[in-house]
Amino acid sequence: MLRGAIAIFRRDFKKFTSNPFMLVMTLAMPIMYLLIFGNAIGGTITGIPIGIVQEQPFVHETPLYLAGLDQLEHFHTQPDKPALFHVQSFTDETIAKNALADGEIMAYVVFPSDLEPGRTIRLYMDSSEFTVPALVQSGVFGAVAATGAKNPIESVNVYGTVDYIQFFGVGVIVMAIFMTTMFGGGLALIRDREMGIIEGYFVTPVKRSSIILGTIGSGTVKAFFAGFIIFLVDIFIAGVIIRAPEDFFLVLLVLFMTSIGVTSLVVSLASRFSSQQEYSSVIAFFSLLLFMTSGAFYPVLGMPSWLRWITVINPEFYAVQALRSIILRGQGINVIWPDLLALAIFSIGAIILGIITYRRTLE
Amino acid sequence: MVTDDNIIRIEHISKIFKTGTGSVTAVDDVSFNVRRGEIFGLLGPNGAGKSTLIRILTTLMKPSSGRAFLDIYEVTKDDEKVRGIIGVCPQNSTLDVELTAYDNLEFYGKLVNVDDSVLDERIWELLRMADLSDRAHSRVSTLSGGMRRKLEIVRAFLHRPLILFLDEPTIGLDPESRREVWQQISILNTEHITIILTTHYMDEAEKLCQRIAFVDHGRLVSLDTPENLKLAMPAGELIELGCDHFDDSLLTVIRTHHQVISVEKKEGIIQISAKNGSNLLPVLIAEFEKSGVAITSISIRSPSLEDVFLYLTGKKLDDMTSDIPVPRPGGNR
Repeated sequence: MLRGAIAIFRRDFKKFTSNPFMLVMTLAMPIMYLLIFGNAIGGTITGIPIGIVQEQPFVHETPLYLAGLDQLEHFHTQPDKPALFHVQSFTDETIAKNALADGEIMAYVVFPSDLEPGRTIRLYMDSSEFTVPALVQSGVFGAVAATGAKNPIESVNVYGTVDYIQFFGVGVIVMAIFMTTMFGGGLALIRDREMGIIEGYFVTPVKRSSIILGTIGSGTVKAFFAGFIIFLVDIFIAGVIIRAPEDFFLVLLVLFMTSIGVTSLVVSLASRFSSQQEYSSVIAFFSLLLFMTSGAFYPVLGMPSWLRWITVINPEFYAVQALRSIILRGQGINVIWPDLLALAIFSIGAIILGIITYRRTLE
Repeated sequence: MVTDDNIIRIEHISKIFKTGTGSVTAVDDVSFNVRRGEIFGLLGPNGAGKSTLIRILTTLMKPSSGRAFLDIYEVTKDDEKVRGIIGVCPQNSTLDVELTAYDNLEFYGKLVNVDDSVLDERIWELLRMADLSDRAHSRVSTLSGGMRRKLEIVRAFLHRPLILFLDEPTIGLDPESRREVWQQISILNTEHITIILTTHYMDEAEKLCQRIAFVDHGRLVSLDTPENLKLAMPAGELIELGCDHFDDSLLTVIRTHHQVISVEKKEGIIQISAKNGSNLLPVLIAEFEKSGVAITSISIRSPSLEDVFLYLTGKKLDDMTSDIPVPRPGGNR
């Protein structure tokens, strides 16, 4: 009995050690979990961009406004961390309101005019982000208390109450696109090659370009549907609200751009790997890395700066951000165009890369 | 150069693979023609260069030198045209096992440009031909090895190609399935299609092929009909006649016949080695009758192709691997 057990043990071990690539990848996963998960989630959020403005009619800045500004600028949740807020002064409430609508600031505080110094201090918050509104609220309350003012404070959630499931649900749409394509699509492609189906194409008159178009096309549609189904789940189960038909079409546009980009990238990656095992270990690594740094779980503001660099080159981040802007904040193309631009650059780059690398394996 | 009865013309084809340490010649200056409508066998041990040659002819690989014409097209220049007139059933199955038999044929039909208006009818025709009509909507993964093979062969025939390439069509099949596949191939041949068959099974080549090319170490060793190949053997055929008693004058008469190579007398048996023995046998029987000797048993044994190959190359066909590794492109990149 023991002899057989030892034989099996030795065989498994030999296979394990004979593939250094797999060895590294199996170790890389937990290490990445530790570093990325540990840093991406639950980090201390600092530097929240907020606005501050004084009510009309404006004569001159009140002592309360100046003290509030000073306190907000120097408000710390933890003494050794940077300030909680990055404060910007506005001269007019409408400008501040527009800045919030355009996503430049995440909250603004309206201090009373010097004609009626006893009036309520109003706080308008972007309620679509996770934990940020709570931080803003406690920070503003703390800062006002520190000025010694007794004015009552009124908080307004600009986008209504957004539950975590809604915040997270929008991120899952993008995750669905990435995961189905990276695992389902990529593995299917490698399996097709292993089964010789791709080689079977070559003895038929079908054109190389047709093979590429068909492959990327079917992958894109599959990815799109995966994202679309989660979008419907978000609407009917998580309860997100689509405010206008054009928002709906904007969501579809983002889904499509993401789908075609990710599919092309996966086609390119899958062309480089010969075995399903190697591909899946690499792809598991990347899909997790991209998802963690996409801001789908936790605000990007809470990440250390080295992680934020990954965010900048992470297409998933732009997709999540664009979808949140449309779905949770009802923002239009005027706000999400930088995200769309980033997605377009990614998608076009991926399509070119996909065509070049896939074509090379076809020849 | 274009002759009507030769559908494939191979002119000095060589293929050299670069390896880490040097180079390996998989196909070495091979030239031959294949006639329109014949079943042509390409025989040789594993690694002899058969598959490489097939890959060159089916445009999957470019030759290092030489030219090959399929019908009026040159394989390297008009590769897309060539792909339109060939059907290929590769050694390793390229069926999609997750699709049904019908779906596999439909998919392939679209790849090889079969018109949609006739595709359905054609698929059913082929399924009937392969005796798979009742399994049309079964997933290929549920079909037996023999069924899959038959399906793959008829799939290669979907667009009525001029030339059908079958690379080791019966490898790994049980005897019953092999017979079915052979039957399938014979049926296809009656549709005036040229079939190129590679195999290392002697009986298969002997049963199916009108002409056979022996390949070894990338070289063409011999090319002829199975009968002529056997005639090339100096030993000829072996005839054994059993009889109770006879006198030596009969043996002398037999020896004088020009086809006879040798005559041996054993207990109750006369062993005659002769060229073209099957023609000789009636003559021999007549001689026996003339001298009043009763024959109790007759056996005639041809040299097998195996014997011929052994004679020509000095080695056995089966269970025999040459040292040439055949790289599989498209795998590891």
